[in-house]
Parts: sequence; C-alpha cells; structure tokens
Amino acid sequence: MSRRQRLVPYWLLGPGLLWLLLFFVVPMYFMGELALRSGSLTTGFTFTWEWANFPDSLSGHTEQIVRSFFYAGTATLLALAIGYPLAYAIAFRAGRFKLLLLFAVIAPFFTTYLIRTIAWKTILSDDSPLVGVLQALALVPEDGRVLATPAAVIAGLTYNFLPFMILPLYANLERLDMRLIEAAKDLYASSRTAFLKVTLPLTMPGIVAGVLLTFIPAFGDYINAQLLGGTGQAMVGNVIQSLYLNQRDYPEAAALSFLMMALILVVVSVYIRFAGTGAFMGDEDERERV
Amino acid sequence: MRAGERSNGGATRLAVALVALALTLGLAACGGDTVGGGGNSGDAEVAKGGPVKGELTISNWPGYIDPGAGGTVAEFENETGVSLDYIEDVNDNNSFFGKLQPQLEQGESGGRSIFVVTDWMAKQMWDLGYLQELNRDDLPTVFQNLVPNLENPSFDPGRKYSIPWQSGMTGIWVDTSKAPDIKSVNDLFDPKYKGKVTFLEEMRDSVPLVMKAEGVDPEEATNEDWEKAIEKVKGAAQSGQIRAFTGNNYTEELTAGNIVAAIGWSGDASIVENPNAEWRMPTEGCVLWSDNMVIPVGAPNTPAALGWMEFVYEPEVAADLTEYITYVSPVDGVKDLLSNSNPQLAKDPLVFPSAEFQENCSTQDSPPDVESVSAAWADTVAG
Repeated sequence: MSRRQRLVPYWLLGPGLLWLLLFFVVPMYFMGELALRSGSLTTGFTFTWEWANFPDSLSGHTEQIVRSFFYAGTATLLALAIGYPLAYAIAFRAGRFKLLLLFAVIAPFFTTYLIRTIAWKTILSDDSPLVGVLQALALVPEDGRVLATPAAVIAGLTYNFLPFMILPLYANLERLDMRLIEAAKDLYASSRTAFLKVTLPLTMPGIVAGVLLTFIPAFGDYINAQLLGGTGQAMVGNVIQSLYLNQRDYPEAAALSFLMMALILVVVSVYIRFAGTGAFMGDEDERERV
Repeated sequence: MRAGERSNGGATRLAVALVALALTLGLAACGGDTVGGGGNSGDAEVAKGGPVKGELTISNWPGYIDPGAGGTVAEFENETGVSLDYIEDVNDNNSFFGKLQPQLEQGESGGRSIFVVTDWMAKQMWDLGYLQELNRDDLPTVFQNLVPNLENPSFDPGRKYSIPWQSGMTGIWVDTSKAPDIKSVNDLFDPKYKGKVTFLEEMRDSVPLVMKAEGVDPEEATNEDWEKAIEKVKGAAQSGQIRAFTGNNYTEELTAGNIVAAIGWSGDASIVENPNAEWRMPTEGCVLWSDNMVIPVGAPNTPAALGWMEFVYEPEVAADLTEYITYVSPVDGVKDLLSNSNPQLAKDPLVFPSAEFQENCSTQDSPPDVESVSAAWADTVAG
C-alpha cells in the first residue's frame, strides 16, 4: 500500500474532524476556560483557576438534578413503552400503510418544537375540554389541574422525544430476519418465548440507541419545564438558563454544564457497559471476544 | 505489515490531535482576556444627530404600541420615510440583558438602535458602558413635553441617557368572577387560591410588594427585609401556592383562565383578553416604575433613533399611544387632548393617576446588596 493510499482514510475523515473541532472542541475549550474564571459582571470575569466553581454550582441545585433524572428517566421509559409496540406494528403489521404511519411519526417535526409545546399549553389549560373530561373521569381531582404539574412536564418530554425512540427501533425491527422467529416457533417456542429469546435480544441495539437519543436530550431540556411546569418543576436546564441569563454568573453556569455533561457521560457509559457494547455497536469485536 | 500500519495510523492520529490542540489554543489566544467588566468612566459616546432617514430597529415589550396601518410605526414611516423594524422581544429585563450582554460587551447592539428597558436596567447598562449619551439639543420636543416629575429621576438626573417611554404601576390583576375579594398582596397567599396565582419573575416588582404587605417600606428596606420577603415567596412557591413566576406572559394565563390573580402591571388591559380581569391597587400601595428608551453602543443610524424619540413626544402621537396601550404617558398635554376625544379614558385613574391614588406607592428600587439578594431570588424562581 502506498503512503498516499494509507492517508486516504484520514483525508476522508477531514471534514468531519474539522466540523468536530470547530463546533465541539473549540466551544468546549471556551466553556472550560469560562468555568475556571472568577469575578462578577461589574468587575469582569478573570481567569484564576477557580476550581471552587464546580462544587459551588452543585450546591443548592441537587434537587433539580435529581428531578431531571427522574423526569427524563420516566419519560424515556414511557417513550419505550409506547414506541416499541408502535415501531413493531409499523414494521410488521402495517402492510401498505407502513410509509403513511412512518410519515405520521415524523410529521410533527414539520412544526417547531416550541410551537408544539405551546400548543400543549393551550390543550392542557385548566378550563380546557380535555381537562374537563379527565376531571369527569376522576383521573384528575375536581379542583385539580394538569398544567404546572410534574405529570405535564413528563408528558411533554415523552411527547417531544418519542420519535427519537421510534425511529431507531423501527430501523432495527425492520431488518429483523423473520425466519429466526419462524425457526424459534418450529422449535416449540411460544410467541412469548420467541419474543423474549429472539426478537428482544436482536432489537437491543435499537433499544439502546433509542434510550440514549431520548434520555440525553430530555435530561438537559428546559422548554418543557418552563412552559408546561410551574413552581417546583424546574429541571437542571432551567437552573443553567437562570444562572446564565438572569444571574449572569457565567462561570458557575459553565461549571454546572460541564458537571452535567460528565454525569451524563458516566451514566451512559455504565448503561452501555450494562447493556453490552456489542448491543450498541453491533460490532465484530464483541463477537470475537465471545 | 498490519502491525506497521497500525503504528503508522497511530502516529497520524497523534499528529491530527496535536494540530487540533494547537488550533484550539491559537483560537483561544485570539479571545478576550476578561468577560464583562468595562464600566462607564464618564466618557460615553454621544449619540449623533442628523437627518432622519434610512432603516431603524427598535426592541420593545409586547403590547406596548398601537399596531396596524394607522398605528404609530406606520405613521412614523409615512412621515419620515424611515423603514422601521419594530420588534417585541423584551419579555423581562434580565433575560433581555442576558441575551444581548455578550454583544454589548463587544460594542455591538445586535442591529438595534433603541431598547426599552426599566429604570434600574437602564442604569445598569449605563454603568457598564453599554449606552450612548443623549444630547439635549437633538431632543427639543422631548424636553419640552416631558412631564416635570420624570425630569430628574434619582438614577439619571437630568436624563443624560434615558427617555421615558411609558410609566406604570405594579399591583394585582384579579379575575373578578373567580376571586372578587382579593385586595391585598397578602390575599395572594390565601390557601383558597392555591396554584391559582402567579408572581412576576422581576424581583424589583414582586418582592417590594410583599414587603409592603408586611408593613416594610421598600425604599428603606435592609437586605434582611428583602431576604425575609423572599423566604415568604419561596415557601409559597414550594407549597404550590404560587403556580409560576412569569414575565409579561401572565396575561396569557389570565386570558386562558388558568389563574385567578397575578402580580402584574397596570396598563396591560389591552392584552388581557378576559373581560372579568381588572387591575387593582393593593390596599398597601403599588410599585412605580418607568420604561425608558435608551440608545445602546454600536447602534446603527442614531439620527433616526433620535427622530423616533422626538416623534413619540408629540402630544398627538402620545395620545394615540395612550389610547391603545393604557399606560401612564410621560408626555405633557395628553390628558387635555384625550378629555375631548376620549373623556372616559381621561378619567381613568390607572392612566392618569392622581397623587391620592398613588399615595402609598413606592418607587422601584434595588436591594442594598444586589448580588446576594438576586441570587436568593433566582434560586426561588428556579425552584
């Protein structure tokens, strides 16, 4: 192989690397540098290796961090519970409606995220017919409400990130070799056993990808909590926004963002370890190792 | 062979990483050393006057102007030939400042030539060196028609950098069909209205009202007084008594019927589309404030910006504005004009408040230690 040929892959990587450098590494560097500054808006923020910003940014905000985990986790589980059967039905049962149904999953994206969330604010407002029906069914107490409750925020997160769960699941299920399920049934597996022993393990990569694509953005989201939530429903994204825009404590906001990134990274690594790298990557190394 | 390739690849990868690092550091070196700071050392740029033409961009609060073909924007465009981009993107002082601060720090105004911000924010921007000074000679109509009680505010004596847009009062909005008996800010803490009241996100509006209800004079209040009032609000937020902290959007909550009462501003009748909602002067008094037009550093076309200020200080124009937005006009002569054309409005105490009506009101003020009190308030709002 000539030297030139060997370099080809790196040239091909070039645009991607440049992109990452410009839009990921550079901003990260600036944010990291900002997180180590001290001062105030009036005196200016100067770089002083202010490591204390990191513990400071956590103090008083643990409640919102725990809440974010709970909200994002619940929303992810709900999205999985709704998305898996839906993706399964679209992949195997939809027949000629397959494309139409897929389109229906993606269609909401034609309207921006913000508008859709604001629309929910109207649908769920205290005097709306929907809430009236829920009250009549005793699902919501007579003087109760839906808007400005944790349930509204979780529902908003689930709704907004559902397509991110459905699409990888669908892509994965679509490729599933039906003959494997037939084979399982030939070997006297019940439908349930065939699903648990064949379909589910084979769709793990889709589940892992869907969970990551849903959980990570949901954890950092602040729009749903801001529009659909009320007092006592702020998530960590709202805290960072408030630190940045209202308190203008840029270093602490940057420090908190970094810590959340690290936290998510740890959680995701543990999750991938647990779910198996092979399931995530579908790579050959795993198979070789086994 | 394979092994050789591997190590070679490793070397290339290392090289790429090093180049990336070098580039990053190089870029970083180009960045400024400090963020923020600056400060106004008294040599602020003076906004240039001149012929009124070209393009102009103004940032104001929602519902703060009469829209449409006969509206003030259209009239100004017809009269001067200026193409005016009027944006309603100020929903609360803090967020607006937070959004523009990085640009202002670089001496840019985001293309805008006028912002409309509240007294204390105008002062904060001035202190940071983000505003241009105004030359009295460029604004003859303004200084001729400005009402006397706004000529020398404590934050900007002699109006060096701020020209009032409208004034108003912070008090309580009440949906009279659902909560007719709310008369004091203390009533907002009544468990009967749990989850049905909102407070303003703006610390200098909400907290002084709570202090007044507790019998503390906000103009004399200590940090402890502020903190005590914030604690009270925090307790109510955590118990779910307060549904949300809002900017101007409390008007939407009132319209949608989600709340029965809100801390809000006196002139918002034009945007609260709920016939049962009315603004009430709390029994313990209100908070008085003005929103001001300011010209930021780096503002394009300052002659047209000054032209706009002159235009809206013509009593006829100001009367049209008052008729639509129903806030307190800073322009002399509006009441006389309206007593002919709209006598009912001319008698409205919210638009032309008498001294007795505002007897117990306090001017909007900041706490002695802004930084620590604001942090406590921010934690309450983002609970």
